[in-house]
Amino acid sequence: MTETPVKVLVVDDAATVRLYHTSLLSEAGFHVEEAANGLEAVESALTTAYDLFVVDVNMPKMDGYSCVETLRSETVGTPAPVLMISTEDRPGDADRAYAAGANLYMVKPVSAERLVRVARMLTAGSGIAA
Amino acid sequence: MGLVRRNAPPPEETAAPPSIDTLMSQLDDPDPDCRREAALGLGGVDEAVPALLSRVAGEDEPAVRDAMLTTLAAHDTAAVAEGLAVHLATDDAGLRTAAAEALATMPVAVPAIVPRLLADPDHDVRVMTAMVLADLPHPGSQTWLAQMIAEDEHPNVVTAAIDALLPSLGPEHHDLLRAAVDRFPGDPFLRFTVEAALR
Amino acid sequence: MTSAATAGAGLSDAEFEKFREYFYKRTGIQFTSAKRYFVDKRIDACIRGSKFDTFTSWFAALRLSDRSDLLQELINQLTVNETYFLREDYQFDSMLRTVLPAVLEARGGVNRIVGPVKILSLPCSTGEEPYSIALRLLEEWPPIDRIDVEIHGADIDSDVLSKAGHASYGERSLQRVPKKWRDKYFSPVGGGRFQLDEGIRGAVTLHQVNVCDTNTMRAFRDFDVVFCRNVLIYFDELSSRRAAENLYGAMRPGGYLFLGHSESMSRISPIFTPTRLPEGIVYQRPTGANR
Repeated sequence: MTETPVKVLVVDDAATVRLYHTSLLSEAGFHVEEAANGLEAVESALTTAYDLFVVDVNMPKMDGYSCVETLRSETVGTPAPVLMISTEDRPGDADRAYAAGANLYMVKPVSAERLVRVARMLTAGSGIAA
Repeated sequence: MGLVRRNAPPPEETAAPPSIDTLMSQLDDPDPDCRREAALGLGGVDEAVPALLSRVAGEDEPAVRDAMLTTLAAHDTAAVAEGLAVHLATDDAGLRTAAAEALATMPVAVPAIVPRLLADPDHDVRVMTAMVLADLPHPGSQTWLAQMIAEDEHPNVVTAAIDALLPSLGPEHHDLLRAAVDRFPGDPFLRFTVEAALR
Repeated sequence: MTSAATAGAGLSDAEFEKFREYFYKRTGIQFTSAKRYFVDKRIDACIRGSKFDTFTSWFAALRLSDRSDLLQELINQLTVNETYFLREDYQFDSMLRTVLPAVLEARGGVNRIVGPVKILSLPCSTGEEPYSIALRLLEEWPPIDRIDVEIHGADIDSDVLSKAGHASYGERSLQRVPKKWRDKYFSPVGGGRFQLDEGIRGAVTLHQVNVCDTNTMRAFRDFDVVFCRNVLIYFDELSSRRAAENLYGAMRPGGYLFLGHSESMSRISPIFTPTRLPEGIVYQRPTGANR
């Protein structure tokens, strides 16, 4: 176990969702940064090595699936786990998330306990919050 | 070698825009860049609207689709608003969010279709509608968002509407927000959102 | 949050939060709470300069109509908007160290490149930017002895273009130019002003163009490097998108686009690929292979 905090990027165009996810994860000891759409997330991931991405689906400029695909592509190439959280629960949404490169797909709303538990599970071994 | 001045005449003197017919036929060119430039070049050309609308969903190059939407959104008309609103229901996340962005820049034509969108049986379409109303520069947006918060049956639509209303939230909305929490007592995110908004 | 701030009274916490979120969403620029005093003062100046007398009415007008005069004044208040030689010089460092070598390699190398390397400065205003590029290339980029470089400056404003053509500058514009370069490339023309060497003036081609106008922008082609700094931030949603699309069309696939240091494509258009360079983020027009 290292001394560096686990770095999470919360990606959502809704300010309230960012606030919710950020406050839950910060209280649990994660170091959280935010991006307001997929493209901003890609730009942030080019300059900072995150241990976890929490990504919404419906976002302007670049949607969540395209964002995850780009994070996995040679443009960024991050191996960090990606948790997608969406309002969409149509058949096929989860498959699309996994095909894009997400590690887990969850439908909103996600309870505080579940979000923190999943974030810990996905980042096990990558820092002091895990 | 070194710095050289362009010897040809300045580009503004050589530019002869292609004809509308040429641009229309280029919308089906196999070269994406040719299609992209045609879509942009058709900016302001009314008769190109149906051709562009019919190609938005089938265009698989994002840069070409973006060019089509940039041109279409500048036609703030009922035909374009209705033609784009159809895509709010699509499974293609890139297309539905791009359509929502375009609709959010069309304050003349979008208001007429809002009542129909608010009544759409698909709650995902209503979530996308909140996304449109968040950025639509129209004085009616606040009223429609308040209506969604008060009446919509799906908690994700209500939270999306609360988020969209946030920048224009005033004391007159406080009862509305409290009532939303009472309607969905089991939704932790909705409760958090309202508490944050009322703080 | 019930109190509506009037001019001079500062913002309430809730108003500051609303404004901060709006500005972040609109521009990508984040103000931390540490900037609260600065932001309060500048917004106050905007409200005083407008016909509105409360934050609430001013903010509603700003958001509702995306009124370009209110937005322009706001951005002027919150950002530094001044042109001078070698401004945001780290981007020129990036061009010399990283971008131009990559351009040469992509185009076959110094010995095999066909046609000139093309650089566009848009908006070029009174010429400081394209001439800064010229000076740095001549002084600090040895390959210029072996290859051709075209520098173009473009602006919508014919007044600034005629000043750019004349290329005489005061102390303020020249403050960052090393004395050695000043002695070598500028000569005094009286009134405390210095005119740039005719050789450089003549080598930079100036154009009047509206970046949002697809028909005139169509003539700009195959640029390897484009500087479009501190202008897209002023445009409304549709204009900034169209401007980005037109810049894309002006660039060679794989070409590089620099925005102003506080600007981000993430608020404008997804058609470019962000690329990390040692000196910061730059945007590339995708090559066919990346598609």
